[in-house]
Amino acid sequence: MTTATVLKIEDLRTYFYSRSKQAFIRSVDGVSLEIEKGEALGVVGESGSGKSITALSVMGLISAGPGVISGKIGFRSDRIRKNLLQDLEDFVKLTTRDGKIMEVSKDVVGWGQNTERAMKKVRGKEIAMIFQNPKSSLNPFTLVGKQITEAIRLHTSIKTEPEAKDRALTWLDRVKIDSPRLRFDNYPYGLSGGMCQRAMIAMALACEPSLLIADEPTTGLDATIQSKIVDLLAELKSELGVTTMLISHDISIISRLSDRVAVMYGGTVCDYGPTKEILSTGFESKHPYTSALLASIPSAQNIKEKGYLQAIEGEVLDTINVPAGCRFYSRCNRVTEKIRERCARHEPDLREIRSGHKVRCWLYFD
Amino acid sequence: MPKTILEVTDLKKHFTYRKGLFSSFKDQQQFIPAVDGVSFYLKENETMGLVGESGCGKTTIGRTVLRLEKPTSGKILFDGRDITRVPTDELRQLRSHMQMIFQDLDAALNPKMRIRDILSEAITVHHQISDAEVEKRIGDLLEQVSLKKTKLSNFPHELSGGEKRRVGVARVLSVGAKFIVADEPTSALDVSIQAQVVNLLRDLQKSLGLSYLFISHDLRVVELISHKVAVMYLGKIVEIGLSDRIANRASHPYTHILWSSLVEKQSREASQKARSVQAGQWGVFDFERPAAGCRFAPRCPVYESKGKPEICVAPSTEPQLKDIGDAHQVACHFPL
Repeated sequence: MTTATVLKIEDLRTYFYSRSKQAFIRSVDGVSLEIEKGEALGVVGESGSGKSITALSVMGLISAGPGVISGKIGFRSDRIRKNLLQDLEDFVKLTTRDGKIMEVSKDVVGWGQNTERAMKKVRGKEIAMIFQNPKSSLNPFTLVGKQITEAIRLHTSIKTEPEAKDRALTWLDRVKIDSPRLRFDNYPYGLSGGMCQRAMIAMALACEPSLLIADEPTTGLDATIQSKIVDLLAELKSELGVTTMLISHDISIISRLSDRVAVMYGGTVCDYGPTKEILSTGFESKHPYTSALLASIPSAQNIKEKGYLQAIEGEVLDTINVPAGCRFYSRCNRVTEKIRERCARHEPDLREIRSGHKVRCWLYFD
Repeated sequence: MPKTILEVTDLKKHFTYRKGLFSSFKDQQQFIPAVDGVSFYLKENETMGLVGESGCGKTTIGRTVLRLEKPTSGKILFDGRDITRVPTDELRQLRSHMQMIFQDLDAALNPKMRIRDILSEAITVHHQISDAEVEKRIGDLLEQVSLKKTKLSNFPHELSGGEKRRVGVARVLSVGAKFIVADEPTSALDVSIQAQVVNLLRDLQKSLGLSYLFISHDLRVVELISHKVAVMYLGKIVEIGLSDRIANRASHPYTHILWSSLVEKQSREASQKARSVQAGQWGVFDFERPAAGCRFAPRCPVYESKGKPEICVAPSTEPQLKDIGDAHQVACHFPL
């Protein structure tokens, strides 16, 4: 761990037990990521690839129901330094028979208390999160301003209402909500989707967190509003140097905002490296899934050159019965005869193919 | 020369709402002009894209054209026949020719019916045929939309987003529709699945000679699939033309902003360039009080840069669609 690393996720596994199928849904299956200070890491992938569950695991929000987490999430800022998953595994017991898990017993209360204890000083204060649907993540019965001051008073040294209001107004102004004083006394229904998202960003940043997790911050907004929010995030990043983990399935947003990208498929990271290399069409040695994903976006270039979209055939991976070999094998179009055997039987590791760029594919290792 | 399958003239759809219980006595009825005088035509085997921000009336046009909503005024010609005032009992027969692919398939597919029942219901509603024929027809449909036979006994919630979409398309095809309104068929789908659906729709158009009214706010998809594109703003079409022209040589400031907001997301350099084109305030638009004159004026960068000319906001001079060559029409006093 270098001194500047803010978040280091090691071999994170988040499983959910499905009672009816008597099997685990392996939502996140061995993810390792690192975020340096001041950096923006983009996480892309299809729905169900485990992007959001990774973020929720970091926030300690996997508590209800039969969820199981293992691995290590090291978090480090100027103020604290800890493994966010400390001792969590002690609260889960698995009963297996013939190699199949028959029963999961979880001490839900103990798990909850432990998570709360571990996350109390972190959530909101050190790691803030912006959620996908801004309208539904604001409390509809509370004034927008009240919700922001509440967060400020809870997480920072500012405890009085007038001071908190000052700070909230500065931040509302900072995220360019028009007439912040007026919006401060509005209920969320009086704000448009774009304004709600701005208010969310203001709330998240007003406590000056060391890490901001933005989970699909622009989905569900109009194209024109989307580009405004992206502009805002880009501006905040360059001016304040906010360390960000940006989750999205929109590749154009990721390419604009992030320095490094992790491409996720079926609960694992399959391609991990600098944005310039991974998302440019010129760079050849990337994971076949990344190339296929890039070819399937309706971008100006794809339309002009081919006139149609190259779809990825097949369906998103079944995360219950994970195949033995490479997870992308059944949809991959670059399997050669030479490596076919290996692709079908053994799962490749995430290995470095050049400095700072890791790929999980047999194509690149002999 | 392909024939015109749909022709819409000056279509209006106003929704009324009342403020309070006794407002109808006090003459306070207010209305929202969701579609406010729209004209266009669609040829056989052709796709027209309809783009615009949410709330501009795209979906309402789709629903009104199919007579799912009663038009307030205007005229809809389908296959040469005026269907604006067709009585309800004749509509059923009409619907075997025109159908809609709905946006939210979780809501559009009955969660308590198996896929087989959903499809066979749609087939038997319009045609009285034997069970064996229904079975055969279902087989054909599945092949057309490339869906596995094993999925027939599943319930909708057991299918993935892309598969549900295919069922939706199969159901529309089952009645033998020639004209299809596709309302946001690719929203809420992953890019890889989105590409599958777009390709499917294009292939079907080629093999069956379908015509689509393709409603979407995803500009790139619209550009890709459509022959013509109409851009809507607050219930009006502000620009209409061939998709290549709209995407690359837009004349209306609004279209220009829509397309450049795509570019803006992509890179920093392009963003700088796009910003120099568009200045201007981006207020929220208000449907209940459309501005006098040009509706777009309050948000328009050209209006701003020309020093707020009177003609844009004068009540009597709302810009009309004007032909500027190559079947490209634009409603603006100062086209770019």
